[in-house]
Amino acid sequence: MTFRQFAYRNVVRNRRIYAAFFLASVFSVMVFFLYSMLMFHPGIGEQFITGITLIGMTTADIILYVFMLFFLFYSMRAFMQARSGEFALLLQLGMERRQLGKLLLLEMLLLGATSTASGIVLGFTFSKYFFMIVRELLQLSALPLYVSWEPFLMTAGAFFSLFLLIGLLSAYIVANRDISEFKKGIGGEANPFGYSPGRAAAGILLLLSSYGAALLAGRVNVLYLSVLLPPAATLGTYYFFSHSVLYLLDLFRDRKSLYWKRSRLVSLAETAAKLRDNANMFFIVAIVSTVAFLSVGTLASLATYTAQYRALNPLGLVYESFPGNPHEYEHVTGLMKELQTAGLEYTHVPLTVAREESSFSGQPINILREGEVNRLAETLGAGPVNLRPGEAVFLPYSKEAAPRLKDADIRTELEESGVDVHVKGVVGGLLLPAYSLGTNSIVVSETDFVKVASVQPGNLLRIHAFDVPDWEETVGIGLAIEQAMVMSEIQQGEALPFYYKNPGLDYSIIRSTFHLLLLTGLLVAMVFLLAAGSFIYFKLYTMLDRDRRQAAVLKRLGMTEREFIKIVNRQLIPQFFLPWGIAMLHSTFAFISLQAIWKEFADISILNEMALVLVGFTVIQLLYFYLIRWRYLAHVKGPA
Amino acid sequence: MPIVSIEDVIKIYEGKVTHRALDRLSFDVEEGEFLAVMGPSGSGKTTLLNLISGIDMPTSGRVLIKGTDPATLRPDDLARFRRRELGFVFQDFNLLRMLTVEENIVLPLTLDRLPVEEMDARVKAITARLGLGGILHKRPDEISGGQEQRVAIARALVHRPSIVLADEPTGNLDSNAAREVLDLLGTINRENRTTFIMVTHDPIAASYCDRVLFIKDGAYYNEIHKDDRRRTFFQRILNMLSLLGGNVDDLSSVRLP
Repeated sequence: MTFRQFAYRNVVRNRRIYAAFFLASVFSVMVFFLYSMLMFHPGIGEQFITGITLIGMTTADIILYVFMLFFLFYSMRAFMQARSGEFALLLQLGMERRQLGKLLLLEMLLLGATSTASGIVLGFTFSKYFFMIVRELLQLSALPLYVSWEPFLMTAGAFFSLFLLIGLLSAYIVANRDISEFKKGIGGEANPFGYSPGRAAAGILLLLSSYGAALLAGRVNVLYLSVLLPPAATLGTYYFFSHSVLYLLDLFRDRKSLYWKRSRLVSLAETAAKLRDNANMFFIVAIVSTVAFLSVGTLASLATYTAQYRALNPLGLVYESFPGNPHEYEHVTGLMKELQTAGLEYTHVPLTVAREESSFSGQPINILREGEVNRLAETLGAGPVNLRPGEAVFLPYSKEAAPRLKDADIRTELEESGVDVHVKGVVGGLLLPAYSLGTNSIVVSETDFVKVASVQPGNLLRIHAFDVPDWEETVGIGLAIEQAMVMSEIQQGEALPFYYKNPGLDYSIIRSTFHLLLLTGLLVAMVFLLAAGSFIYFKLYTMLDRDRRQAAVLKRLGMTEREFIKIVNRQLIPQFFLPWGIAMLHSTFAFISLQAIWKEFADISILNEMALVLVGFTVIQLLYFYLIRWRYLAHVKGPA
Repeated sequence: MPIVSIEDVIKIYEGKVTHRALDRLSFDVEEGEFLAVMGPSGSGKTTLLNLISGIDMPTSGRVLIKGTDPATLRPDDLARFRRRELGFVFQDFNLLRMLTVEENIVLPLTLDRLPVEEMDARVKAITARLGLGGILHKRPDEISGGQEQRVAIARALVHRPSIVLADEPTGNLDSNAAREVLDLLGTINRENRTTFIMVTHDPIAASYCDRVLFIKDGAYYNEIHKDDRRRTFFQRILNMLSLLGGNVDDLSSVRLP
């Protein structure tokens, strides 16, 4: 048997220990590879695989990489702790430290090579499906599969270097330890009774105050909160797991009538021991889960944004022509022709807008004409206005603005033309979105409008509103105008004398980008989830011998099967659901403050999406719990 | 009527190599007796204890404890039977590391849902008797091996079982601690009329008993009874062991009591 064979057999024969770790690594390599496939797609830059896609994929890859670095490092330490007895034996048999280090490096490289290779193969197998999903999300006509060496090289290089790094690190650690240290076990079992009451209190206080502050978000300075809250909550979580939980359990232990009751004695003490032993891991799992929930939840809430998009954009297409625009006729007839060619029904409503300063506010104000606005209102199914000379109504710029403007009662003079108007009430419904006119617009009667317009006939704005019932189909309409606007923006040239907006096109881009980011976030969250689960599994597995011996003792003391399962449940449930519950609480409060912050921007409810995300993750976690409990029970009750 | 009777018990372990651990073994244990079971490694001593406690079932034959055959009980009844009638003392103590001394002792009582006052009283009584009063709130890691075994004995006795099964109780103790533990077991046996069945390699430990049963390759080999002087009893045990053969290194180095 050569040295390399020894390393190989060590891994292969310990495969049950490494199984969960291997699974998590393979899955993360696979996801990494899929993202890389999209990053290097030859079609990038064309169609709608836009910059955002590229940025999203790169970010996800970097997050995955960094996370895997931590995950591997932590797992490696746990492996070494679990195998310290074995290392001590090898050293006593006369193995040199250097050789032991080499053994660890070889093992890690073997694991790394197999999981990287399997991950890439799996990734390549699923890339067709992945591309199909992406194509669907981005509404591309085609996203062909391609074969190129870049994604392969990048994934293999990234992960192999990662495993090499971790392998070298473990070799270094192992070469600098004594046999006696190994015998004690690296890290060793922590004292399940040890905690500091001060830190226990600090943990609870920090968490409670963070939650309280999150509830006040929206009323307090948002920036202030976003800087202070995350560190406070993180520190609180750390103290909570390493001190507060033990403190709370100890409070319980002092009450014998509650504590000295059937299997509670064992299960509580066992819970305390396992919590103490794994406090660091639980802390990491809780924080990682919180981040995963939050990112998925936020992305999901952005996806709802698109659902409310239509409400904000009642019109199909909007073309604004500023004074002195030579292209107006050409562009508008072009748009009409394109709509006809595409077979889309539409109604064209031209609007004339004058702009004057209001004596009331000192601000410029947009003035629209009663007849034209009524035509637009009719097209969009809103009620008409009926104005006498001297009267005016506000044109609301958003749904929320309407009730506020409704009660306004303002008398003002339009300064340039000297027309006095009494502005009272609003036009029913949202007709023109805020981007086309800004926030300060009124409608005046025909007579007054003629007066206003005659003052500066060369300075009138023309808005061509197109109502298109099938507004989502307008993706390809007006691309040439869009192009011209993009070009002028890039060249930073003179401002164009026109403005064109195609909500259908914007909608499709926003929608697909958010969905793509959501998919990315979900996959990354899955990797987190799998890694956290694999860690719990591994920890359970390393403690198996001790647990099995303990089970045998308890059986001899006369514990029934049912009581034993109860004990196992009671110690597994906190391991799975305590970090989980904390992460849930964290994200719930974070969502509440997010909701408050969100409201300031877009007035969107993210409640449903959040609930959906949290429920979905809980279901997955439950499944995972039952799977691992099943395996654990089988092992603990099985023969040694 | 004997409290334990083993009737023609055969235990065969099926596996890649079929192994006959016990071969038509029969003997009785009287109430209040202190019995030692000796034999070379692999003679089936531990299997015997497992059969008596119902952890394992005999392939054929019968084990009767106070007239009940554990093999016929349903699992829950068997567990209840163990927690009421049996106490266990192990070679490596097997205290639960995460429980304090007091909690380890009270464990069998909590399983039986006694009122807290009763549990407190019993723990107080047994710990006073075993001299454990000062270490009740320490953890197993913080006390010596002899103390650990005394805690384990307290745990085995606190629910007042009729039979205590001990598997090499002195195997991990130094000679002083071993003598203390054996004296303790002897006193309890005499005062409480608790039946003890102790499996051991150690002739000194065996010399504290009323009767020593020798088994070889799973079958009954011989037995000798206590006489007036422990020194001669010890010598007769040694003679029997040398007759029995087996591995010499199984015997602990000879120490005179």
